[in-house]
Amino acid sequence: MTQVIIDGKPCAAEEGETLLVVARREGIDIPAFCFEESLASYGACRMCLVEVVKGARPGITTSCTLQAADGLEVLTETPEITGLRKALIELYLAQAPRAESIKALARRYGVEKTRFARKVVKEDPLQNRCILCGLCVRVCGEIMGAGAINYIGRGQFTEINTPFYEENEACMGCGACAEVCPTGAIALEDRTDTRVMKSWSETKVPLARCAACGTFFAPVPFTRYAHEKLDPGILDALKDLCPACRSKAAARKAILLKKEGVIPPEPELQA
Amino acid sequence: MDLDALKAARQKGLQKLLPDRPRVAVGLATCGIAAGGDRVYAALEAAIRDRGLDMELAKVGCIGYCREEPLVNIQIPGKPCVILHRVTEADAEEIVRAVAAGDVPRRLALCRVETWDPLVGEKLDFGTGFDDIPAYADIPYFAPQRKIVLRDAGFINPEDIDEYFAVGGYRALYKALTEMTPEAVIDEVIASGLRGRGGAGFPTGTKWNFTKVEKSLRKYIICNADEGDPGAYMNRNEMESDPHMILEGMLIGAYAIGAREGIIYVRAEYPLAIARLTRAMEEARAHGLLGKNIFGTDFSFELTLAEGAGAFVCGEETALIASIEGKTGRPRPRPPFPAQKGLWGMPTNINNVETWTNIPVIISRGGDWFAGIGAEKNTGTKVYSLVGEVQRVGLVEVPLGTPIRTLVYDVGNGGIDGRDIKAVQTGGPSGGCIPASLFDTPMDYEHLTAVGSIMGSGGVVVMDETTSMVDTARFFIGFTHEESCGKCAPCREGLKHMLMILDKILSGKATRENLDLLEELSGTIKKTSLCGLGQTAPNPVLTTLKYFRNEYDATLKGAK
Repeated sequence: MTQVIIDGKPCAAEEGETLLVVARREGIDIPAFCFEESLASYGACRMCLVEVVKGARPGITTSCTLQAADGLEVLTETPEITGLRKALIELYLAQAPRAESIKALARRYGVEKTRFARKVVKEDPLQNRCILCGLCVRVCGEIMGAGAINYIGRGQFTEINTPFYEENEACMGCGACAEVCPTGAIALEDRTDTRVMKSWSETKVPLARCAACGTFFAPVPFTRYAHEKLDPGILDALKDLCPACRSKAAARKAILLKKEGVIPPEPELQA
Repeated sequence: MDLDALKAARQKGLQKLLPDRPRVAVGLATCGIAAGGDRVYAALEAAIRDRGLDMELAKVGCIGYCREEPLVNIQIPGKPCVILHRVTEADAEEIVRAVAAGDVPRRLALCRVETWDPLVGEKLDFGTGFDDIPAYADIPYFAPQRKIVLRDAGFINPEDIDEYFAVGGYRALYKALTEMTPEAVIDEVIASGLRGRGGAGFPTGTKWNFTKVEKSLRKYIICNADEGDPGAYMNRNEMESDPHMILEGMLIGAYAIGAREGIIYVRAEYPLAIARLTRAMEEARAHGLLGKNIFGTDFSFELTLAEGAGAFVCGEETALIASIEGKTGRPRPRPPFPAQKGLWGMPTNINNVETWTNIPVIISRGGDWFAGIGAEKNTGTKVYSLVGEVQRVGLVEVPLGTPIRTLVYDVGNGGIDGRDIKAVQTGGPSGGCIPASLFDTPMDYEHLTAVGSIMGSGGVVVMDETTSMVDTARFFIGFTHEESCGKCAPCREGLKHMLMILDKILSGKATRENLDLLEELSGTIKKTSLCGLGQTAPNPVLTTLKYFRNEYDATLKGAK
């Protein structure tokens, strides 16, 4: 364990721990869009800037790429940092004018409007909310292992979508992309037996139907992936049940055991 | 290969470089070819063949005097090497006729070179005579120059390893491998004070040490040859005119660092450089200078070449590594630095082409000798490409610390048609524009930074009174905007808005508020961008606002 000082407050941290994580644990709310603890730091949104007052490299840097070390002292809201954050917020307001989370952050920092030309695209698959933080791309590729979406183009013309803007069968419809998106840009919709990834070139993924209650509960390729990778020991008879029915089934295992032989008999307890 | 073989190879090379019959050599780097050098070569070849003359015809690299190309060297045994300039195919007959008679056509003669010092080997004595032709040292374009990196350029055939042996090639490597420990090599480079020539100016020996001290089964060295600044072609000529010097520098560096594999990352837009480097690697391999147990020592080294795919940002070291790995060329935050986690996750040392080319002479002549050239903390020379609205354009090598004035007026001879020079832009698209009033500024890393520009890789673009500085700033922002990888928001979004505001200014519709916003945004991008590209991209706007604000003001609404 080591100790770092954030805004004058001594905080315990693991050596090498990401400073942004330490700060958030201590209740210091440094804004960040491209950071997700389960992924490697990316350093793209530049919102989590802090000033290193004491440390190996003094000056302004991103706290998502800063590692806790003994004696490290940082400030998270100097006038300069606040000014830079406000400037970045203005850029984001222009880039993603419909992103509510950006507007909320703007209110927190007292930014009333952007002085830059707002970019509004008609029929934008990402609803004029995408700020290209890359979390969706990284979670899809690095955590889900699907790699269904990626960057297209470069610089200001960068977009995120499926290859060639075509439906992509690599997409499992898991929705992790929408889950991590900091601006709610990714749209998906369940239409009876099909999940439509509206943002990803209308990629359609079939939904699995619960064998017990008949509701459509999860994308078929995702359930298959989950069974293979995450829970290879799951019983075949449970695979086709929705989470609710699976719970019920587990609760009524005695009945199931008796009537249908779904669950193998447990060894008898010795008295 | 051993020392005797190296000496024998030198003799063989000298017979080619200084044959006992006349040698006619055409400058055939990309610039020479573009100026018609290949047609001159073909015409000379035909003329020699048709007359059945006993003379050598050779290809050499480029001596750097772009304005005077095509250049042809005439070497007649016992006579000075005479450099002919602005040669055309029509001159071929006259040239070979004169050479056959032991003479050179005076009307084409630029200068004569009696002896040439390749610094790492014995001097080349061409001969004496032709006193009516100006001496090399008296040519104003050459006089202020000091050739270290480009010492062989324009004299040796870059496609023949024997000619590199002739000018002392690979002797520094032999010395390093057989007489020096890796630590001693690094100490020598540290003593030389050499700083990275890619732009950042980090001390090379110190950088090598970072990779050397890492414990790893594999380490890499990389030569960054992704030169992409508009108007800059230092590295191109270094590769095209003397590829073996880069190989030798890398071999010495690999030995010092403990790397067994190296990669030269060249932009695909440099086909001739790629061809010559590839050939140089094949020749070196054939002579046992690449591969296992080089010079019979325990040191083994393999070198490969990787081609870039056209992205400017891949000159940034972390993006370059991503590109070699087959990923999209996007920079990542440092640390970890490549010295800790570089190519394929292994410790990696990256240096620019020109940094590597400085290594052999440092090992041969010693770090102290090198440290005696240049200025305080800015040792050695720097190659600049002097281009734009200046009379004598070309590739210029001068000691670090040479004032801008010397470069623009002594070497470049000032503006075209007597026009006044207004500014120079140094350091590529993310450099700054320095006004004529500051031309006494010494060109070294610190002084250029102090006036708001950067050394960069060595591009020097000259602007005269007819150049609009707002337009100039717009051009460079247009370039960096187009080459921004798009990863971080300030660079991707910020440069886009800078470009929009600059367009508004140029169309005469901008207000004072627009101008203030432009300045504020420049500061934001500089302070918040992820990599060097974004951090320096606003420099052309910031410096032109600082030194030429009147030109911006004049365009504002209601200014007229």
